[in-house]
Amino acid sequence: MNKRCATSSCSGDSRIKRRRRRFRAGPGFRVLALTGFVLFPFVARAQQDAQRFQQDPVEHLAARLVVALAFVGILVAIYSLLKYQGAVLGPVSWGLLFVGAVATPLLITGVGTILVFEKAERVEFCASCHLTMKSFVDDMKNPQSASLAALHYKNRYIPDNQCYSCHTSYGIFGTVEAKKEGLTDVYKYYTRTFHSPIKMRHPYPNHDCLKCHAGSAKWLASHEDYKDSLFSGQATCMQCHADSNPAHNIAQTVTP
Amino acid sequence: MKDPAIKPWRLNSTSTRALLIGAQVLALIIFFLALEFLWSTTGGTLTLFSTFAPALTLLATIAVFGVAAYRFLKRHSLFEIEDIGPGQMIFQQGDEGDCAYFIHSGEVEVVRKEDGAEQVVARLTKGEYFGEMALISNAPRNATVRSATPVRVAILGKQNFLSMLSLMPHTQEDIMKTVNVRAMRKAEQ
Repeated sequence: MNKRCATSSCSGDSRIKRRRRRFRAGPGFRVLALTGFVLFPFVARAQQDAQRFQQDPVEHLAARLVVALAFVGILVAIYSLLKYQGAVLGPVSWGLLFVGAVATPLLITGVGTILVFEKAERVEFCASCHLTMKSFVDDMKNPQSASLAALHYKNRYIPDNQCYSCHTSYGIFGTVEAKKEGLTDVYKYYTRTFHSPIKMRHPYPNHDCLKCHAGSAKWLASHEDYKDSLFSGQATCMQCHADSNPAHNIAQTVTP
Repeated sequence: MKDPAIKPWRLNSTSTRALLIGAQVLALIIFFLALEFLWSTTGGTLTLFSTFAPALTLLATIAVFGVAAYRFLKRHSLFEIEDIGPGQMIFQQGDEGDCAYFIHSGEVEVVRKEDGAEQVVARLTKGEYFGEMALISNAPRNATVRSATPVRVAILGKQNFLSMLSLMPHTQEDIMKTVNVRAMRKAEQ
């Protein structure tokens, strides 16, 4: 009896040991768990940002796709680095290397470029240069302001991407031109070489007002006498509108 | 006439590993740039991502495909002659076996690393060969081989090596004998 008990207890012990061995997390598993834990806030924040700002389903999906790809890519690259340390020993290690170092970076760069163009049009993006642009955005969002920007914003004459809509010409060349000048702005902002108050590089073109207003019956009725000179560029829109409604009500005293 | 002062840059086991580790580190930088850009979209993060991510992706892709092409060519090489300077690593323990080496001149030493300690297990000279065991057993290299003197070797890729064994039974017998001797020596150690 005793012998049988002893035997059964032994086999029970060994079973428990086996079970414990089965559930012991290996170094690979621990690295994956730790990476997931570290990445979680990034993923949550990025998705929250995407939900808050995007209205376009393409942008919404693209942001989620980039986060998912980055998550997968980080896990695969770290696992491959720790396990193989640069050696390639067959199809599995080649596959992990290809996924981690080629496929996911290519996909992220491709999809991310769509997001770059989409997100660069957002008002929040323009306001991120706190020392220079934020005061313009604050004025635009101020319901008490009588500036042209604020009038367009509060009446929803322009439903979204208000900065981009008024300051960028139509078409792909307008976007490319804006990106080119934006790069200079970014450089000057981060190197603190901008001059305050900031000024427009070029006089505001009539074209950027007329691209929306020129076709409307209300505008045609009130601008019949000036239409030709506005179209030819002999007169500017701001010659009449700047006094009663300046483009922005800003008193800039920012020191770079 | 070749200038002996100019040494052509060649890929070897260490540099291929360094390139692949570098490619994966570049990929990690791309992932973090993308997450940083989504976390906080500002002029700085957007410029960093849109400028560096394509450049780093290109570098990582070139590194991976370059190493893959190099390994492919080595695997299919047919008695390519290579001159190796003294003290250089020819392959490393744990690498994938992609070719066998036949010594024309010079001496190499076979080093095995066990429990962190290195031990020279053999010295091979003209007329001998090495690197065949990984091709036959389809396992990673079981030792590191480095040159003790200036060495000239003929490199035979895995595919051609296996074809040679199946087409020439005498060669197969000779090589299997050597493999057995080396396996016994390893077991004795």
